[in-house]
Amino acid sequence: MSDRYIFRYIIILVLIVSVLLSGAALLLKPYQDMNKKNEQRINILKAAGITGVDNKNAEQLFKQHCTAQHYGELPYYIIDDKITVIPMHGNGLWGPIWGYIGLSEDHQTVVGAVFDHKSETPGLGAEITTDGFQSQFSGKKMKGYSVDVDAIAGATRTSDGVKTMIKNTLEAYKPYLEGNE
Amino acid sequence: MSKNMNLITAPLRKANPITVLILGICSSLAVTAKLKPAIVMALSVTVVTALSNLVISLLRKGIPSKIRIIVQLIVVATLVILVDQFLKAFMYDVSKQLSVFVGLIITNCIVMGRLEAFAMSHSPWESFLDGVGNGLGYGAILVIVAFIRELFGSGTLFGYQVIPQGLYDFGYMNNGLMILPPMALIIIGIIIWLQKPEEEK
Repeated sequence: MSDRYIFRYIIILVLIVSVLLSGAALLLKPYQDMNKKNEQRINILKAAGITGVDNKNAEQLFKQHCTAQHYGELPYYIIDDKITVIPMHGNGLWGPIWGYIGLSEDHQTVVGAVFDHKSETPGLGAEITTDGFQSQFSGKKMKGYSVDVDAIAGATRTSDGVKTMIKNTLEAYKPYLEGNE
Repeated sequence: MSKNMNLITAPLRKANPITVLILGICSSLAVTAKLKPAIVMALSVTVVTALSNLVISLLRKGIPSKIRIIVQLIVVATLVILVDQFLKAFMYDVSKQLSVFVGLIITNCIVMGRLEAFAMSHSPWESFLDGVGNGLGYGAILVIVAFIRELFGSGTLFGYQVIPQGLYDFGYMNNGLMILPPMALIIIGIIIWLQKPEEEK
């Protein structure tokens, strides 16, 4: 087979493939964006103690309960005019972790918290996404911008990451949290 | 007909890609901590091996042999990206659990191995069946390993609690080692050991 044939073959193949892939990406993008958005909505509602939200009713429930607001540069969400939900970002052991924490009206009690991570160890650090870990936060009193919960056995670094993330975030929101007291 | 059936059944046991050919070990360690991602991974690999076998077999007479590996890679990569995009759009939670491992199907030796060893020299229909068979053979081992690991590691199956609370009250504990990748290697080793004598008959 001549070199000319090889070049022609590969160019045509690559053209077909690129058309196929960009077509698929364009078609599926709206669904994927929707999923990401709904995941965020589900997490915000969950941090405010509203569970049982799924992909189908997330948009409707979110609009019904939640308003997005800003304090200066800092975004937060008010749920049912009472609960403040604050987005958090921090570092785990292997990569970024993030989540939402819901605070009661007087900002003294944690209503709920959700966490997610990029690459923590499954079964250890990744346990921060489970209800078992997250439910510990519900109803806890805040002690000077930190919350006492049991760390995950075998995942000290990730647990510390969660702790630091909560502390740093809430300290950044200090003017807002104290201003409303 | 029986020859075609053999293409599907052989990879399930006596030519199993994981336990006999020792291919695709890496992903079988990573995604078998829970059953659900293991099954989705198995299905994804089956789809990719079957379709890439089919496509390569259809193209096999035109593929310039100098660049056949590149052509195979392009076909496999395209299919994997399609599967990944599809999962992200319609099975978002599972695609999050599988994370990078869907993308890594490209490097799964089973896929390229079947293309080189089978699809390049067989008819499209036979190649398709061979791909399905190998995907299922891979999947069977994944499901067995995930079943054991989820049951003893988390006390659940498909996320539902199956080990009763009463046992925990007596001091039973989930085995943390089960959740870590080395245990998957040990379980696969045990499966190979159990299968070996049967094969030698």
